[in-house]
Amino acid sequence: MKTLWFHLMPYPELPEDFQQQHRSVWVDIDPKLFDPAVGHRAYNDYIDELEHAGAMGFDGVGVNEHHSNAYGLMPSPNLIASTLTRSCPDAAIMVMGDSVALYNPPIRVAEEMAMLDCMSGGRLISGFPVGSPMDTIFAYGQNPATLRERYHEGVDLILKAWESDEVFSFNGRYNKLRYVNCWPRPVQQPHPPIWIPGGGSVDTWAWCAENEFVYTYLSYFGYKAGMRTMQGYWDKVRELGKEPNPFMGGFAQFVGVADTEAEAWELYREPAEYFFNRCLHVYAGFADPPGYKSVNTVRAGVEGMVERAAREATERAARAGARSGSTKAGPAGGSEGMTFESMVEKGYVIIGDPGQVAEKLTEVATSLNVGHIMALCHFGNMAKDVVMRNTELMATKVLPEVRHLFENEWEDKWWPKPLPAPQRSVAGGLR
Amino acid sequence: MSAANTAANTAADASAVDFRGQHLVVHQTGQGSPVGYLHGLLGNPGLHPFLTSLAASGEGHRVIAPGLPGFSGSPACEDLRSMHDWIVATSEAIDLAGLAGAPMVASSAGAMLALEVAAVRPEAFERLVLIAPLGLWEPTDPVADPFATTMKRQRSILTADPARTAAFFEDDMTQSPEVLIERNVDRYLARTAAASLVWPIPEFGLDTRIHRVTCPVTLVWGAQDELAPVSYLERFAGLLPNVVGTHIVDGAGHLAEWDRPDEVAALVEGALS
Repeated sequence: MKTLWFHLMPYPELPEDFQQQHRSVWVDIDPKLFDPAVGHRAYNDYIDELEHAGAMGFDGVGVNEHHSNAYGLMPSPNLIASTLTRSCPDAAIMVMGDSVALYNPPIRVAEEMAMLDCMSGGRLISGFPVGSPMDTIFAYGQNPATLRERYHEGVDLILKAWESDEVFSFNGRYNKLRYVNCWPRPVQQPHPPIWIPGGGSVDTWAWCAENEFVYTYLSYFGYKAGMRTMQGYWDKVRELGKEPNPFMGGFAQFVGVADTEAEAWELYREPAEYFFNRCLHVYAGFADPPGYKSVNTVRAGVEGMVERAAREATERAARAGARSGSTKAGPAGGSEGMTFESMVEKGYVIIGDPGQVAEKLTEVATSLNVGHIMALCHFGNMAKDVVMRNTELMATKVLPEVRHLFENEWEDKWWPKPLPAPQRSVAGGLR
Repeated sequence: MSAANTAANTAADASAVDFRGQHLVVHQTGQGSPVGYLHGLLGNPGLHPFLTSLAASGEGHRVIAPGLPGFSGSPACEDLRSMHDWIVATSEAIDLAGLAGAPMVASSAGAMLALEVAAVRPEAFERLVLIAPLGLWEPTDPVADPFATTMKRQRSILTADPARTAAFFEDDMTQSPEVLIERNVDRYLARTAAASLVWPIPEFGLDTRIHRVTCPVTLVWGAQDELAPVSYLERFAGLLPNVVGTHIVDGAGHLAEWDRPDEVAALVEGALS
């Protein structure tokens, strides 16, 4: 099994009364809450943390894209990934990913990812998300009725740009390019591995299975809640006559390791409560714009991940409002925080000593049948020294216990195939 | 189908006309001189009260109400990606419903489309009665976002009395789960089509073309319109070359014909006569 250290890069200093005073962490969050000095420190700390993960021996490091969002400070994940190609010389670089429909034209994604693959010597994992409704529909003004078609056309264009060894014309519905010619070319031929982050759309299961893309469920809600989604994906894989190779799946999981379980409860309470209560304080009105879901998903009654986050935030606010006598849910209406005990019990966050965490991660991997774990070892407002220690314990005491999973039974055909190490440049010159 | 033929057809009914290999549902009711109705953001979930009120007004009318693709049981059309696509499709639907040259009542996004069609084909309508048309944008007085809010609020932003839109938003819970699922899908498709028309800002350059709308236009606005402020009535009146009447309806929201069907039907009757 491969474990990637995945960073969301949340803004670390949202006020304590954020849920009470603000409507949403996403889309219309108050610009005045952003202190550039905090941003400066956060970006640099977060890059340090990713670099530490690479140095400690994680199989990969990962970043993703969000817009107008205080829990994800990466409108451009490629900017962060470019620094990591230099400072993490051995780890896979996972960009999870570029929201294809937001790039005009999407050939820009092919170009920048080819740059990253060249810079890293062939260590890029290319992720293509549709993007959340908040990012795509509200922050970037895409029409929900055409978003998915635009997205699929963009992915087609990118793949053709990487695969073609001739200049070609692309006459799409949304993209009309007389001359498509992706310079530079990716090191990995015909292209880097394609991983698709999903949030519960039933059509994405079939699309990934048919094309043998890795389906990764970037869930906020842990492995217990992820069971239904991953089961739906594997059912579709089998239905299409494909092998349920665990390496064709991935899952994101919050993890906190300490020397003892008691210490873990102490260390990770505040950052977990910060993430789930402040960072997931999403206004429900942004979660389900009409047209964002496919008709099949509507018919199946599947609730998207951000939709669930927004619903739960609304329910917490409503409960708090009921207790206080307020009828308002949202700003000034109050909110009832989720407890850390509840997060741990439900599996949102896995904590414990190294043995306990290894046992739980084994359960995650085997119950969901996933060969790639995106470990979120930073969450919320976790202090840097805690992040570094968590990362070190994961790398030195947990990963050795789980790395063997699936490796003898299945081939990971979706892992980067870099140039041999002696041929790869590192910062300052060849090795 | 022509306007004369449809006028001869007196059945209160919903029929279908072929449209690009699929079909459009056309609601029709009443008898008398033909008048079209181009729906707003909810389509025509059956013969709602405004259609029957209009059919009964004056000496009676044959009301012909085509459902645009995605609305009212008309299948969604994946070829509609841009405002240009929607204008051509609306023009086509008007011809297919036999409404070319007839008077047209149009509401909200449907009124925006009617204006766009009339800017291309000034002869398309004998006259227009427009209920809170979209299509202009004043940054200091913006049209509200009808979707970035809860479903409850999405409903309440459309009419002064949310109960008026029960035919669209509410289900008969005694029906089977399968029927309820499909009702939900139909509602989702209609909301998707509406989003397709107005996202993210319902302004597509109409102000550069609106001078070509030369037919007589009557403007009707709900006094409690929370989506498109009533101040837009004056903006449209200032740009349209042939406004023959303006009316503000008390007790009505954005879809004024849903809140006050009889009153708006009477205003239409006045404009037609």
